[in-house]
Amino acid sequence: MESIRVTELGKTFRLKRKREGLAGSVRSLLRPDYVEKAAVEGVTFTVRQGEKLAFVGPNGAGKSTTIKMLTGILHPTSGHAEVLGLNPWKERMKLAHCIGSVFGQKSQLWYHLPPSDTFELMSRIYELRRSDYVQRRDELIERFDIGPHLHTAVRKLSLGERMRCEIAASLLHRPQVIFLDEPTIGLDVVVKQRIRELVNELNREEGTTLFLTSHDAGDVERLCDRAIVINGGRMIFDDRVELMKRRFLTHKTVQLVLHEEPGSLQMPGVQEQARDGVKLTLSVDMGVTSIEAVLSQIMAAYLLVDVTVEDPPMEEIITQMYRTGVHEQEEGVG
Amino acid sequence: MIALTKTLKYVCIGRITLRNQLAYVVDFLVRSLFLLLILYIFLQLWQTTFAGEGAASIAGYSFRQLMWYLIVTESMTLACPSLCTRLEEEVKSGDVAFKLVRPVNFIAFHYVEYMSEVAVRFCVNVILGGMLGLLVLGPPDDMTGFLWLPLTALGGFTLNFMLNMVVALSAFWVEETRGLEFVYNKFLFTVGGMLMPIELFPESLQRIVRWLPLQGIVYTPAKTAVAFEAVRLAGMLMAQAGWIVIFACVALLVYRRGVKKLNVNGG
Amino acid sequence: MLMEDKSLQSAPNVTVISEYAMPGKYKRLLLFVFACWKANLLGAMEFRLSFVLTAGMMLINNVVWIVFWGLYFRRFPVVNGWELTDVMMLWAVSAGGFGLMATLFGNSMRVASLIAGGQLDVYLAQPKPVLLHVLISRMSVSAIGDVAFALLVYVFFGNHSLSGLLKFGLALVIAALLFIFFTLIVNCLAFWLGNTEGLSFQLFNALLTFTTYPTGIFRGLGKLILYTVVPAGFISYLPIGLLRHLEPVFLLGAVGVTALLTAGGIALFYTGLRRYASGNRMGLRS
Repeated sequence: MESIRVTELGKTFRLKRKREGLAGSVRSLLRPDYVEKAAVEGVTFTVRQGEKLAFVGPNGAGKSTTIKMLTGILHPTSGHAEVLGLNPWKERMKLAHCIGSVFGQKSQLWYHLPPSDTFELMSRIYELRRSDYVQRRDELIERFDIGPHLHTAVRKLSLGERMRCEIAASLLHRPQVIFLDEPTIGLDVVVKQRIRELVNELNREEGTTLFLTSHDAGDVERLCDRAIVINGGRMIFDDRVELMKRRFLTHKTVQLVLHEEPGSLQMPGVQEQARDGVKLTLSVDMGVTSIEAVLSQIMAAYLLVDVTVEDPPMEEIITQMYRTGVHEQEEGVG
Repeated sequence: MIALTKTLKYVCIGRITLRNQLAYVVDFLVRSLFLLLILYIFLQLWQTTFAGEGAASIAGYSFRQLMWYLIVTESMTLACPSLCTRLEEEVKSGDVAFKLVRPVNFIAFHYVEYMSEVAVRFCVNVILGGMLGLLVLGPPDDMTGFLWLPLTALGGFTLNFMLNMVVALSAFWVEETRGLEFVYNKFLFTVGGMLMPIELFPESLQRIVRWLPLQGIVYTPAKTAVAFEAVRLAGMLMAQAGWIVIFACVALLVYRRGVKKLNVNGG
Repeated sequence: MLMEDKSLQSAPNVTVISEYAMPGKYKRLLLFVFACWKANLLGAMEFRLSFVLTAGMMLINNVVWIVFWGLYFRRFPVVNGWELTDVMMLWAVSAGGFGLMATLFGNSMRVASLIAGGQLDVYLAQPKPVLLHVLISRMSVSAIGDVAFALLVYVFFGNHSLSGLLKFGLALVIAALLFIFFTLIVNCLAFWLGNTEGLSFQLFNALLTFTTYPTGIFRGLGKLILYTVVPAGFISYLPIGLLRHLEPVFLLGAVGVTALLTAGGIALFYTGLRRYASGNRMGLRS
């Protein structure tokens, strides 16, 4: 059963070219010069109900544009899209009743009010039957563990607490598809992981389709089973996340702070990237060795003060993709 | 003294760079349009009033005098920026910490900043209002009063600064001072003689108002300009000066108290 | 309970709990509007002291203007047919109309900045009519003082008969609608001209300013403007043309212009919204 079907979706913006200085501003007011920017081009994919899809790419790749077109906020310049059988920009209100959306940068919660008040308002916006709403609300409060924060004004909540409330709010009306636009942005590692777990659980128990945009590789790895990579408005990868990990998330960066300056490290799959006294940055090839093996070997020889393990940034993964020649659209239906 | 010249330099440089921005100029123009709008409305109001009364002069003001009176008061009022907004931001952002100098320097710094902005806006307003006046009303009969305008206006603006500063300094105790400033401005509009010369008030009110400092702000300059009475000039100027000194002292005291409170509370 | 729509294919484990397609649509819309107003009020009361102060300040501001007019009319009892009571009612209608706009439809004045900041997105993602949802999502706290003021002035200076009450109610409705839709129209310029926050505000301010002066003082070009470009005249003549004695021609004109601006405002907003949703405004929204 399909929940999202996208065919050759495209969006081109006509932007005014801004010119320098006062004279330039006046000139651009009187005789504007337009530049066409294709934000999204030829995007095609299908999502089954219950799938967890990550839509990833670097900043400005077209992720937010695509998600806005699927939620009815933006009208495309070419192509078709269907969400739950409805046209997002022609049947906006009808579709809005069946989908949920969480935008990491913009909040749906009222800033000065406790989340409980926003929930009440949501029940009216989505026209929920009172008894059903109360039951659903209590379910979500328990699942997302927001009971203690329910009556605190949103402005007083931490970003992690707020995000959990945001996601809960978007699920009140039992949507069949939920769109998450950069939901873990600005959160620390522990909080991110918690949110990913909660969302995973939701998908398991309710079969909600997950459409997530992110430029955090961790979101992709740990939350979704399918990834579509978009760069410069075009799809360059569409397949299972394991495949992506195996082929492209091959390296992890390990930053170490040791107690004393280390000698030269000779380990298979480990490349030294930078060195600054007791600080060391290594690149570890995940196909050859594991983080555990590397760390235990280092700890056997040196005293460890601090360690950070990082995924490569999305930009690097994409560069890798180009390098290995995966820039043609792969029609991988997961 | 060195500190004062330094701050003057700093402010002047600040002003010049500001003036280069287009947005600032646009804001300026928009404010000026508002001045013309208000003056137009008053023109209509008083034309109708004089026509209704059928008299050439009301309470000693001819129609032309009254309109020039309003041009002066409006030009002055619309030239004043909001001290409360500025100070509130400073206190909230903790910027005051950098300015926690001696009370005299704090007041002086803000005075220079205030007056430089006022000077520019007042000149623009006077030019615009003056052009409207000359076009519609013709020049005032007696120009001697206008020669005193720079001095009386300086006094008026300074007095307004002092009073406004006292209100603004309550930011040390109250979160929202803008409401108080708002109310203060409204009092200035009515009782201060901005909307209507004090002579047109009922007798009982006139007697009370004469004892208030508010009349020194816009009434004194405007009246001196349009209905010059050499006899009363000295008295009015002294009243202005007197009130300035009194409220300067009040402002200094309040500032000192406020800083003490800030230090006690850890800022 | 599943939704009555064959075009949707529901997933096995998901039940949809909305009453969307069921009868009673308008009742639910009204409930939604009241819920929004309630949320606004709650948000405002979060800052209790600030709330009282802000509303109180507005009340005082209006009283001060009344004092001015009181002083003026003491000296000049009648001005072109206008008396003190008329100007009092003028302020009641003007402050009341403005107050109703700013409290119940408080985002009217902010539409330009919402457009410029790309903040209409949130409303587009939710299943309610965008214009209504936008307008009711904000309440100006100070304007509560204006509404209180309007009611007080009516109590002291107004006509308390049934017809007087009804006429006052009608005057408030006309004034409020004119404020809402004129302000909306000047704010919609931002759909085409970029950030017109400043300009839109000044035009709105012009309307507001003009409505607080009796029409009797204006002549010629001024009067023409009052009944065309800046329709303040339809509000400021209400004390004479409706409240004192009903002038059918004027009332018809006022109602007509109100209807025109209402329809025009709604149409203009949705036309602009289509443009907004095509995203071709200056600069890239993130």
